[in-house]
This record gives sequence, structure tokens and C-alpha cells, in this order.
Amino acid sequence: MAEKTLSSFEKFIKYIDSILPLEIELIINNFDRFIYGVGITLELTILSLIIGFLLAVPMAVARSSQHAILSPIIWCYTYVFRGTPLLVQTYLIYYGLGQFQFIKNSWVWDSILSSAWWCALIAFTLNTAAYTTELLHGAINDTPKGEVEAAIASGHSYFGRIRRIILPSAFRRAIPAYSNEVIFMLHGSVVASTITLQDVLGVGRWLNGRYYLAYEGFITAALLYFAIVFGITRIFRMVERKYLKYLQ
Amino acid sequence: MNLIWEYRQQLVDGTLVTIQLALASLIIAILFGLLGAMGKLSSNRIANMMAGIYTTAVRGVPDLVLILLVFYGGQEIINTIGKATDWWKYVEINQFMAGTCTIGVIFGAYYTETFRGAIMAIPKGQIEAGVAVGMNKFLVFRHIIWPQMIRYALPGFSNNWLVQIKTTALVSVIGLQDLVYNAFVAGRSTHLLFIFMFASLVIFLLMTAISDLLLTLLNRKYSKGMVRT
Amino acid sequence: MNKSIPPALKVENLHKSFGKVEVIKGISMTANKGDVITILGASGSGKSTFLRCINLLETPNSGEVTIGGETIAMKIGKNNNYMPANIKQVERLRSRLSMVFQGFNLWSHMTVLENIIEAPIYVQKESKAKAIKNAKYLLNKVGLSDRSDYYPSHLSGGQQQRVAIARALAMNPDIMLFDEPTSALDPELVGEVLTVMRDLAEEGRTMLVVTHEMSFAKDVSTKTIFLDQGNICEQGCPSDLFTNPKTPEFKKFLTRSFV
Repeated sequence: MAEKTLSSFEKFIKYIDSILPLEIELIINNFDRFIYGVGITLELTILSLIIGFLLAVPMAVARSSQHAILSPIIWCYTYVFRGTPLLVQTYLIYYGLGQFQFIKNSWVWDSILSSAWWCALIAFTLNTAAYTTELLHGAINDTPKGEVEAAIASGHSYFGRIRRIILPSAFRRAIPAYSNEVIFMLHGSVVASTITLQDVLGVGRWLNGRYYLAYEGFITAALLYFAIVFGITRIFRMVERKYLKYLQ
Repeated sequence: MNLIWEYRQQLVDGTLVTIQLALASLIIAILFGLLGAMGKLSSNRIANMMAGIYTTAVRGVPDLVLILLVFYGGQEIINTIGKATDWWKYVEINQFMAGTCTIGVIFGAYYTETFRGAIMAIPKGQIEAGVAVGMNKFLVFRHIIWPQMIRYALPGFSNNWLVQIKTTALVSVIGLQDLVYNAFVAGRSTHLLFIFMFASLVIFLLMTAISDLLLTLLNRKYSKGMVRT
Repeated sequence: MNKSIPPALKVENLHKSFGKVEVIKGISMTANKGDVITILGASGSGKSTFLRCINLLETPNSGEVTIGGETIAMKIGKNNNYMPANIKQVERLRSRLSMVFQGFNLWSHMTVLENIIEAPIYVQKESKAKAIKNAKYLLNKVGLSDRSDYYPSHLSGGQQQRVAIARALAMNPDIMLFDEPTSALDPELVGEVLTVMRDLAEEGRTMLVVTHEMSFAKDVSTKTIFLDQGNICEQGCPSDLFTNPKTPEFKKFLTRSFV
């Protein structure tokens, strides 16, 4: 029974193969590699988003605090990382740092900086942290003044207001913009394929290179990315429905 | 520092290619953006759907995937069609063309949303007032919608343009000798990759900072007469 | 004289300027427990600013505020500005005052119930169970027990202001400050809020009310203060004040208000 379905499945693939100018069989045969690529892509994207977010929260608070030293420093950081391409940032870390002998001699080189995966993670994290900081900074600034006053008047301390009133409300208002940042980061993660990593696009490029194909690998990668974006959009729609109920 | 000076010509050439690429793709993007916005706002269901598919597809697929697809796949498709129909001889897509067209079409989708929002932000009453004084559709567009659309679209436009400049860096992956590519090559041959990548980072920062500044000034000019809320 | 009962609130020689404009020009007043003091004045007379100086939402330029016998310690800061010496003291005293704002200022991302239990739990460190129990009681009191899981934006202005009053009451404050609580409301919604405030006055709550509602001032308050250009122009028992205004400014204000 199992054999029969398999063979009819194969027949079906052969048929599709014959009517489409695409090497479907090659894609199917290498699909496990693509799944692995999805894993790498998601791993890099999700980890950098989580760490970036954790870095962004204190930076956004400090940036909004008008602190005489912290605020301009953070502004500079976000300005540089938002004003330059992620590709160049990644190259700078992956290829650039190897220029310095003292870095190559230190333990960080062997354990972290010589690895493309770590370099991608560091670059992506610093990049998304910069965007997220600005996005949260905007949301914090948009907190209705009256709501902050009400918190002051009821005796909340400075950090109490930030923790209980300002951040919870800023997080909620930042959800739509943050969903864009998540998709942007997923798009950006393709840079990983330029520093040898086998993410979704990396596998696509490998497939094309291996079998001298022009578009099979890229089309498969495009469809996989599309599916991931679709999933992310869905998740955020659910999150928005839950947490933005109070705005509707 | 001396080595950077030695390689200055490469950096300057690369920067010029990057600027050309950005500007050329901007023109395509604005055209596609206007078309897309018209499609989205049109009462024609097919136009509506096409514009919808266009923006969703672009939002769903990373830029570099599309650039590679167009550069490697596009050439093959065009030549397959050419061979089958005998309409044209062997065509070669160069990196600049592939990059310009792809980035233009991609950002067209983002400008679609910007322009659509801008047109929708124009108070309906003003368009009706135009019609009421006897303007035809063209006059209404030229005298009422267009000038205000620019005003409402500027902030979103600025945002997209800054992203677009940075996106051009990806074209180095298909071998176009832009700023990133030239900096990388120079860095590798001198073993000073950090210095050269850093130089290209600074040049990109200058390009985005200058754009940002100019667009902010323009925005200030155009928002005269707008009530700040 | 019983020295152990200090006045609920004592303000001495309070000054406040915004830039070069002096808005409060040395106001002193005392409120005893159970007083309901209405503060009247044309717009720009400084009445809201005065109220906001009491809980230091605005920092006065000079003067003293004493709450239940405890004076808020002030100092001269680095830039030569007058500022509270101990922010912890201010935060503690603020939780004994509570304020109802013109614009309600409910926390929009929290439900009605969450708004009310917020300060009791996180400022006054009450247990959650106790705070919820008290919140339910207060919601019943302002007539909104069926709205506890609503978000503020889903309520009418009058309902929002009643929630804000419940939120202020939840801290069991010694003094309640009302900053034009009905000014942002549609006329037909003013009544429901005034009814709640009237009940509070009858319970013996100490209240300072900045308002334009003449009837409330006349019928409910125990004392009325009329501010004009940052000074107390007239004050006293409302029945005397309204029937027998002494200054031309107050006379003018009254005729305008009743037209």
C-alpha cells in the first residue's frame, strides 16, 4: 500500500516535471536541505530578534529619558546602524575583524568571531536592536501625557511608572510597527547566505550551483520565505487582536 | 590611510555606481508605485487584485532572492522565449539592469502603499469642491490631488528612499562593481578588509544622512500651511 | 486646643511662574478634615496650576505644602531651581492625595478593574485579593459594577470619569483633588459625575474641587475660594459669597457664569 502511494506520488511528480520547465525532482530530492535551511534562517532571525529586543528596551528607555550622556550615545548608535546596509555591517564583522592580529590571537576569535553563524547573529542583533530602540522610543514618546500624570499623581515612582504604565502601553502600540521589523529582519537574514551560511537562500544558491540551474533554487527559496512571512503575518494578526483590543 | 588614498578611485567609482543604481531604480519604483496606487484605489476589481498580489508578493520575498532570480533566471527565461518564438536573438542581462529593475519593482510596492495612503489622506471634500467648480478629472488630479499627495507622501517616501539606498548594497552579490564590491576587493587585496568595509559604511552613512537632511528640509517646505496636531 | 489633629492640608505662600509669567502669586490656604473646598476662577486665573502644585505635578517656585502635618521638604537644586528634596517622600504623600483629572487620564491599556487596583497593589502594596474586593465595592458605589472588564475607550466620558473617581478612591486618600472633573463632558453626562461627587462630600471626604459648576460650589462645598490673576480674590462660606460678592471681579465672574 505504502509502495503504491509512493510510486503514484512519483508518477505525479514526473508528470508535473514534464509539463513545467522546472526540475521539480531535484527540488524534492533536496528538500531536506531546504528544511534545514529554514531552520538556520529561523534560528538566526528569532535569536537576533529576541536578544535585540532585550537590548532595545533599556536603550529606548534611556533614549527617552533625555539623559545628557546616554541619550545622545544611543542616538548615534541607532543612527549608524539604521543608516547603513546590513550587508556591510555583516561583512565588517565577519571579514573585517580578521584584519586585526590581536583579535585573531584572542580566545574570542576561535570560539566566536571565526564562525559565520556567530558573526551573522551579532550583526543581525545589533541591527534589529537599533531599529527596535527607535521604534520603542517613538512609542514611549507617544504615551498620552495625561496617563503618565495620573501615574505620577497616584504615587508611582519613576521606574514604577516605566514598568507599570509607560512600557506596557508602549509595547502594545508598537506591535504593528514591530511586526514590520520582524518581517524586515527575516528579509535581512538572507545576508547570511553571503557569508557561507546554508540558510534558505544559501541552500537555493547551493542547489543552483550544484546542478547548473538558473532558477529552481531561488524559486523554492522565494516560496519558502513567502510561507514564513505569511505565518508571521498570521501570528501578529492574532497578537494584535489580543493586545490591541482596547484601541478598537 | 595611505592605502585608502591609493584605492580612492575604486571607492569613488563604486560610489557613483551605487548612486546611479539608486536613482535609476527610484524612477522605476515611483512609476510602479503610482501604477500600484492607482490599481489599489481603482474600482476595477482586476486592477485591484493585481495591485494586491504585487504588494503581497514583494512583501513576502526577500530582495536578494528576487535579485538573484531576475539576474540568473530572468536571462534564461527571456532567451528561452526568444528561441521559441524567434522574436529576438540572445539577450544578456547585465548586473546593473537586473539590479535596477528588481530594486525598482520591489520598492514600487512600498511606494504603492505610501502613495495610496497619501491620496486617501486628501480630504474628500476638496476633490468634490474641485469637481463642483467644473474641473475635469485631469485638472482635479493636476491641481488638487498631485500637490497635496506630494505633501502627504513625503514622510513615507523619505523612509522608503533611505531603505532603498541601503538595499542597493545587495547588488554586489551578483557582481556589480558598486561601492560594497569595490571596497571588498580593495580590502581583500590589501588585507585591510576592516578599513575598507568601514570606509564603505561611512560613505553609505553620508548618503543616507544627506538624503535624510534634504528630505527633512523639503518636508518642512511642503508642510507649510498644514495644521500641526 | 487639640494639637494632635493638624489640618489635612496647609499651603503657605505658594508661587509658580511659567518662564516670566507668574501664574500663582503667593497663595495660602488651609483645609481641615471633611472640608469640601471649591476653587473658582476664570480660565487663566491659575486655579488648575494651583491644584497641580499641591501634589507637585507642577513644581512651585517657592512656598510650602503640608499634608496631614507633614511638610514636603524642598531644596534649591543645581540650576538654582526649587525642587523636592526627597522624591520618596513626595511619592509617599502623593499616594495619600489622589487626583481626578479633566481628561480622565485612565490608563487606556488596562481594563476598568485593572485601572482601579493598579495603585493599591503596586504603590500601596496591598494584596491583590483585597484590592479587587475594594475595587468591586467602589465600582458598585459609582454605579458601574457591570463594566469592570471594559477598556476605557469603550465607555462614555461620564462613565470614564466615574471610573477615574473610583480609581482615586481606591487609594483611600486623605484628600481628593478634582481638576475640572466635568469640563470635558457633554452636558448630559455632567449630572452623573456630580451625583457621585455629592455623595462623597456627604460622606465627609476632604475635597478640593476646581470647577465651573456653580451649583455644586453653592450647594455642596463648605468653602469657596475665588482666584483672580494668581491671587485669592475672595473666599468664605459659599452662601455668603454668592449672595454677597464683595469685589467687582467676583461680581463680574458671577454675572457671566449665570447668564
